[in-house]
Amino acid sequence: MISQKIQRFRRAIWTWKQPLMRLPPLVGAPISDLFVWRSSGEWQTLFELIDIASLFEDADGPQDVTLIAFDEQGLRVLEQKVILQVNSRQTLDISSMIGRAYGEKGTFAVFHSRTPSSITKLGSFLTERGYVSYRYRGAPLRAYVHGNFDAISLGAGGELQLLGGSSLLRREYSLQYELQHGVVYELGIVNPTSTSQRCICKLVSVRTRKITGAQVVNLPPGGIQLVPLRVDKSEPVRLVIQSHLVMARPIVFRIQNLKLDVFHG
Amino acid sequence: MPYYPLLKAPGAQGWATLCNFSPNNWEANRGRQQFINVTWATEGHWASKTLGVLLPGELRTINASDVADVVPANALALLSLTHVSLPAQSNALPKLDVAQTSVPAWRATLGLSTSVAQTSYQGELDSFPPQGSLLTFGPFLQFGEGIKNHLILLNLENSPKSRSAELEIYDTAGLKPRGRFTVRSNAANCIRLDELGVEPGDLPLFICRGMAAIPLYFSSSMDGAFLSLEHTHPPASLVVHGRRWEAQKLLKNRWFAKVAP
Repeated sequence: MISQKIQRFRRAIWTWKQPLMRLPPLVGAPISDLFVWRSSGEWQTLFELIDIASLFEDADGPQDVTLIAFDEQGLRVLEQKVILQVNSRQTLDISSMIGRAYGEKGTFAVFHSRTPSSITKLGSFLTERGYVSYRYRGAPLRAYVHGNFDAISLGAGGELQLLGGSSLLRREYSLQYELQHGVVYELGIVNPTSTSQRCICKLVSVRTRKITGAQVVNLPPGGIQLVPLRVDKSEPVRLVIQSHLVMARPIVFRIQNLKLDVFHG
Repeated sequence: MPYYPLLKAPGAQGWATLCNFSPNNWEANRGRQQFINVTWATEGHWASKTLGVLLPGELRTINASDVADVVPANALALLSLTHVSLPAQSNALPKLDVAQTSVPAWRATLGLSTSVAQTSYQGELDSFPPQGSLLTFGPFLQFGEGIKNHLILLNLENSPKSRSAELEIYDTAGLKPRGRFTVRSNAANCIRLDELGVEPGDLPLFICRGMAAIPLYFSSSMDGAFLSLEHTHPPASLVVHGRRWEAQKLLKNRWFAKVAP
């Protein structure tokens, strides 16, 4: 009994008023992940747009989404309406939409204009956690990765609300992955909270458990950084991210012999 | 605690990297040595074998070839980490009584490799109830010369007895049937998607009324130099907060009724 209470208290230190994602202030507000875009001579980013609301309920007329893109500092650089095609797949070339004026990386969100009444009645929110693909160096195949976070919501007046929760104590997120020698890794870390975050990315030797390298990343609200990782020695190394993010789950770009793989932590 | 399947796909080898460390430092951070097990269904029971031990903080990659002489070629190899070794035989899928986490779930790296490329995702596989079903929309098909697309439907149930169900594939817009396939439980069912007449703007609808599964999409170039692997979300992931499982039920009922079997 006492041990159960201690256990509950220990967990409460990490969970009390520290949700992974907060509720949007407005009922029925659309939610989206903050997807990572990359755009350069080497990188192309695409997004698979689906009319999610119409999967639940037919609409009276044409519906749209508001696509909002941000630069690496989290500043809004593009806002564009896209008309939805019911029950179809629209592959949006995000890199072309954003262009080359805002750097080579950032995030974007996709807000659906309609939330079916059957969803709001359940106390739920429509969320876009869809599918992004990256083409690297004109490869014949794109690498897909799905969205992960319910990071940002759009209010009725166009105001944006970051929904990510912060932790009272500093936490560690350990990527359950073996980083290999001779492979280029780039770690995309997004800050879905409304406060600036400092993340320490540590490479830890599996054999000795010693830290073999560390990088500090400062992220403004809604900001993103791509952190290059290189494993110097041919020994197994793993990644630990220390921060006040409730879950500092990164997106990992893995390049070996010019072949791209991408996945979420 | 889930199992970690060794994936199967034409022209590629499955592998999994198991991790004996928690994905965070606040849910389950007491390090203990764990057994590495492989489990598979055979002749009406579950068989398990210990492959070794993994010390706290360590990782180990197991390739399909590492268990080829243990697990029959037609069986799905399920890896796991446990504090006690699993029984050699059991009538129900062994319950894995080990540390669990939820933010995020304790996962492994699950991948497919050719001689020149690899692709992976962070995943796990829990057993599904036999009365479960599948509904998902799959926009992952890629097009181009020599590109092949496969659906890998992963199922795991407590019973070792293999049963089958029908996978129906439709075009979501016109509800035109695109294909019908028999899939098995406790298997990585691999289905070629290129010959179904799916066009780039089509949104394929996948329905399996008699079995739940994780739908993975594997695309590869002809020479195996370029690979992509990802799964689509279950319908509950289209909404958040509230009674989201009821939203999943709503969506399934709607689409199951739209396309009568």
